[in-house]
Amino acid sequence: MTPPDLPRFEDLDTDPGRRGVLRAAGASLALAAAAGCDVKPEEWGDPLHMRPRGVAAEDATYATVLELDGIGRGVLVRTRAGHPVKVEGNPDHPGSLGATDVFLEAAPLSLHDPARSRQVRLAGRVPRGAAATAPDAAIAALRGEGLRILTGPVTSPTIARLIAAVLARQPDARWHQWSPVAGDGALGGAMLAFGEAVQPLHDLSRAGFVLALGTGPLDHGPAQIMQARGWARARDAGRAAGRLPVLVAAESTPGLTGTRADRRLALPPAGIEALARALARELGIPATGEPHPDAAPLAAALRRAGPKALVTAGREQPASVHALAAAINAALGSEAVSWIPHPMARPEDCGASLRALAAEMAAGAVGRLLMLDVNPVYDAPADIAFAALMERVPVSVHAGLYPDETALASTWHLPLRHPFESWGDSRAPDGTLAIRQPACTPRVEAARSAEEILAALADLPGEGEAPVRATWPALDGAAWPAVLEAGVLAGSAPPPRPVRLRDGFEVGPAAMTSGLVALFAPDPHLWDGRFAPDAWLQELPRPLTKQAWGNAVLVSPADAARLGLRDGQEAVLTLRGRSVRAAVIALPGQAEGVVTLPLGGGRRAAGAVEGGIGFDAYRLRPADAPWTAAGLEVAPLGGNGMAPVRAGWRHPIEARDPPPARTVAPGEAIPPLPPQPSLYPEWSYPGHAWGMAVDLDACIGCNACSIACQAENNTPVVGAEEVARGREMHWLRVDLHAEPDGRGAFQPVPCMHCEKAPCEVVCPVNATVHDNEGLNLMVYARCIGTRTCSNNCPYKVRRFNWHGYAREPGAVPVRNPEVPLRPRGVIEKCTYCQHRVAAARTRADLEDRAIRDGEVETACQRACPTQAITFGDVNDPDSAVSRAKREGRNYALLGELGTRPRTTYLARVRGADEA
Amino acid sequence: MRWALRIAAVLAGGALGALAGGRAAPGRAAAAPAPSLPTPPPTNPVAAIPLRRRFGWGFTLALGTAGLGVALLGYAVAALLLIGTGLWGTNIPFVWGFDLINYVWWIGIANAASLFAAILVLRRHGLRTAVNRFAEAAALAAVAAAALYPILHLGRPWLFYWVLPYPATYQVWPQFRSTLVWDLWGIMSHVIVTSLFWYTGLIPDLATMRDRAAARGRMLAARLYGLGALGWRGSVIHWARHQAAYRLVAALVLPMLVSAQTIVALEFATTLVPDWHQGRVPLHVVVTGIPSGLGVVLALAVVLRHAFDLRDVIDDVDMSLLARLTAAAGAACLWLYADELLAAWLEEEATRQATAARVFGAYAPLWWGGLLLTALLPQALWLAWVRRSAPAALAIGLGAAGGVWLDRFALVAGGLLHDHLPRTGPPYAPSVPEWTLLLGTVGLFAAALLLFARLLPVVSMYETRHEEDEAEVP
Repeated sequence: MTPPDLPRFEDLDTDPGRRGVLRAAGASLALAAAAGCDVKPEEWGDPLHMRPRGVAAEDATYATVLELDGIGRGVLVRTRAGHPVKVEGNPDHPGSLGATDVFLEAAPLSLHDPARSRQVRLAGRVPRGAAATAPDAAIAALRGEGLRILTGPVTSPTIARLIAAVLARQPDARWHQWSPVAGDGALGGAMLAFGEAVQPLHDLSRAGFVLALGTGPLDHGPAQIMQARGWARARDAGRAAGRLPVLVAAESTPGLTGTRADRRLALPPAGIEALARALARELGIPATGEPHPDAAPLAAALRRAGPKALVTAGREQPASVHALAAAINAALGSEAVSWIPHPMARPEDCGASLRALAAEMAAGAVGRLLMLDVNPVYDAPADIAFAALMERVPVSVHAGLYPDETALASTWHLPLRHPFESWGDSRAPDGTLAIRQPACTPRVEAARSAEEILAALADLPGEGEAPVRATWPALDGAAWPAVLEAGVLAGSAPPPRPVRLRDGFEVGPAAMTSGLVALFAPDPHLWDGRFAPDAWLQELPRPLTKQAWGNAVLVSPADAARLGLRDGQEAVLTLRGRSVRAAVIALPGQAEGVVTLPLGGGRRAAGAVEGGIGFDAYRLRPADAPWTAAGLEVAPLGGNGMAPVRAGWRHPIEARDPPPARTVAPGEAIPPLPPQPSLYPEWSYPGHAWGMAVDLDACIGCNACSIACQAENNTPVVGAEEVARGREMHWLRVDLHAEPDGRGAFQPVPCMHCEKAPCEVVCPVNATVHDNEGLNLMVYARCIGTRTCSNNCPYKVRRFNWHGYAREPGAVPVRNPEVPLRPRGVIEKCTYCQHRVAAARTRADLEDRAIRDGEVETACQRACPTQAITFGDVNDPDSAVSRAKREGRNYALLGELGTRPRTTYLARVRGADEA
Repeated sequence: MRWALRIAAVLAGGALGALAGGRAAPGRAAAAPAPSLPTPPPTNPVAAIPLRRRFGWGFTLALGTAGLGVALLGYAVAALLLIGTGLWGTNIPFVWGFDLINYVWWIGIANAASLFAAILVLRRHGLRTAVNRFAEAAALAAVAAAALYPILHLGRPWLFYWVLPYPATYQVWPQFRSTLVWDLWGIMSHVIVTSLFWYTGLIPDLATMRDRAAARGRMLAARLYGLGALGWRGSVIHWARHQAAYRLVAALVLPMLVSAQTIVALEFATTLVPDWHQGRVPLHVVVTGIPSGLGVVLALAVVLRHAFDLRDVIDDVDMSLLARLTAAAGAACLWLYADELLAAWLEEEATRQATAARVFGAYAPLWWGGLLLTALLPQALWLAWVRRSAPAALAIGLGAAGGVWLDRFALVAGGLLHDHLPRTGPPYAPSVPEWTLLLGTVGLFAAALLLFARLLPVVSMYETRHEEDEAEVP
């Protein structure tokens, strides 16, 4: 097969008006990948080593670990015929606790992405001939003077060891780390406060009063699952004890934490810093600054909470705010925070590291540059013209998963192995070590792993597991398979380090700002842009804006009115003489005077996702002020070409009685509905009767359930144009009932599996039917597509295949063979993961026993970081779901219509500080 | 027996007239003894029309345009089958768009036109001679246009027959509780009864055409008309049976039409959608359908009068009666619109808000346009000078049909604006392929009517003769 000759960087289409989807080219390659299912070339060995404990043999699930910003989260990868089809959290791993987030769920798609880099490239083009030796030629080109290695933040002991070996072999070589979303402020804050590189580890389950300064603990990030689980545990305990923990968020831009907070303060970045300083003064910590009206009551609340108080600072906060948060926690003796050695192998300020590299490149001191899984041409700050600097480097080698912007600007590009294809190791947010074992045979023959490349450079054995085993010589004999089986090295978390506030702690004066402030923030789904090629993540509506495909600038409605901007209008943003065009979303809850620029959009070479989706905020990002920069100018434009695509899942709160997402006072019970008459006889369920309960008090709106459902059920991706038409296919939508102050209630809405299903009686051909366990099922083969069922569904959970989304060229190349692909013209919807029910039934029948409670887990339930979703047999009074449904706050959505839904909700409990 | 003999005499007279060269027998109108009755017109021009060799460039142009519309329909259908319903502007929650809007609209036109014709036949109203035939033809053409939609709107149209109860291998039966299954029977009955009604009324005239074509030596045409005439010889037995059959079918039309419209309306009324879930919806759909059908018949009458110079056959009194009927139907609609608001006001909160969303929401212009064109403007037809003006009658007639279309749009799309849960998708707007399909069905309707006018007598000849006869012998 001849490789697709990708265009040169400068030829790429950057017209922002075009919102293409997936190129048709995908299909042929995807088919080729599928055809090679069971092929295990001898030279690739058989990397499928161990199965995790407690997983049946035929499932072929492997425990491994995936990284986000260098931080590992353990996963179980379910494979079929050698293909990873679904990722689930590893319950033993502290980074995932059995749950997932949107990024973990998207991993199988990036593995199978037909647009992945498959060929070594020399000067952006695939060299003719000698393909087999090309990777070695590229690595050989790196030997010599002036070697610089640029990586992301490295926590992996193996990578660190190999880099050290390279540096030892080539004494003039240097190692730089760069991530556009690195926690430089947190590291700086720790140095300010304690004088050593430590990292706070937040245990929200022990917190009674949490104040989040900036991006909060529930927002997307490497520690989201861990922190959200802790928060949910704290609320569980609080509900039981009648004393709910309080969450107060001071945010500049609406985030998940603020949305779920009991109290939310919309403050500009300077206001957050002022609040932190005023709070610190109230608590006796020296800090200069203006007084803040909220400081005294908050300080009083923190003092009341004492050791149960916790102050967190967001990634984008400056070192001073991190230091003050650390000082406040220390002053209060908070038990909810502990300090661990920084997980980075060599903790450093990534921004400074990149600036140092850029200075060397500009000076011509860099002879060779190896870039491992980084994309600085795209994501370096705007005043570091990385592409131009690379022209001054004689030999640059880029290794990455995609032929991205940096790949096309480098001398050499090497395809990188996917984490599912290679050996490695990483550290969890709490420092726990996990070995990354391959979950499948390599899909790309020319690809090398970062470990292999570094080992080759250091003249060390780099094949397979050798580099990792060399790092962990103690793990020999039975210990090695045991670690692989568990997916985690139990007890390897470093002990908390006792820290003491530095003598003479002082954070210095606050920076002065004026005018509109630009706030740079990782996109909730595209993150720093690395997930932009992922069609699942692109299409998944962002939690708050519900924007799909691309990103848009967020302004407050008041600022929008002042600037003469309509919601969805295009604008020119100018910061320090640089301009970009972007669409604007007027988002309630956004702090006035702050314009949020989500990173990650506007990629020019992002796999099969066509260029120019969204806008590239990096083109404005200053190196010296990577998170907040004052002096932004916004000028409205006439055009509508970039109008953001938004799913209609965000609902301004309106008076409805009862509201869809209900709230109760602590201890309050919702009265059950009176018996509802029906013309039709009751169903009888002698065996199981499946039901679900969704705890709205635990839901943080992170979207993991929605994307997990998509991955599990082969839910097609439809593209931006179709989402704009209202044809998104997600079986599980997460409604946001948004209040004007930026808070709101998330409500995941899967199929309700009604006892008296309105859809069943209106289908003329009996294509949607009730099964003997109460599931309301679609018979795709019988459906003729009248769409009447959707009309009669008051929950609007049914989706229609207006086109053959799943089967047409360009469709997503990952398919769960347990679930059929729906053809054009049929309705589909949530099945309660009926195939998982069937599998459990088969297993139980074979073992001649009943299905155990908890044996069937739906994909959404499994993914949920806060375990908000419970599923099981409602016929069994002792099942978890029956217990949940017996709670007083259990209610049926639109129960007054007489549909008798099997999916019910547990109402949110109003906190003490809530209005 | 007397009337049968008279008919025979008239037939003979007609045949003689035809032999005389297709000219009207002079003096008959002058001899009319009863000034209170409309002057019975001669029937010869009616019969002569289909037998003309040339129809003029105007007709060719019209038929060509309509043929273009039919070609457009073919294109739209082919594109729909090949690419799918994704071509349309529909989404979740607006799963139905032009497919259902136009279906309900066409059915309304067909029903009202049939209903009108049937009432005339049953009441032996004087107007029936003038408008019966083309009212029936319009109904049939509208049914043909309507019947396309329930099939084409499916996600998988080629499987439409699964709605039929047939002994399938897997013994899967249709869901008989589904209004869509009822609708299948409704539309099928409609097609059968409407075509029977039209055809039964046509048989004696087909025989006349056969004879006149034969008399002119057009043997092929005579043979074709003869096939349709089913061997009609005009015997007294034939006439007796024909009258019985015709009145029987007309009587069948009445309940069936009300039920067909009602079933279509039940597709909405039986859902949980707050604005649709009202007992008044069937009545609304049936009654608002009437001005659209009458309006189309009125417009057709105006066109036929002028295009074929039939001012004597469809005379001013006929036109006046038809116009006043349209106005009366509009008045009934006015009452229904008022009832809609009153019912919403008295209903529970969800329904009230849903109706408010329909009347004042994103699709408000459609609702108000429907009210204006269907109920308010036709009231002008009460004024004699308005209904006597051909352009005004034409505009108001077509306007009534357009108004009902707006009303259907407001029902199908506007009714979904406010649901039990907040809406999860963008509003519905028809796409170009949907407009193409609508234009195509209009082309089909027009082509069917033009071919009807070209090939068959547009006014019932035997009924006209019957009237003449009665006029002669009061």
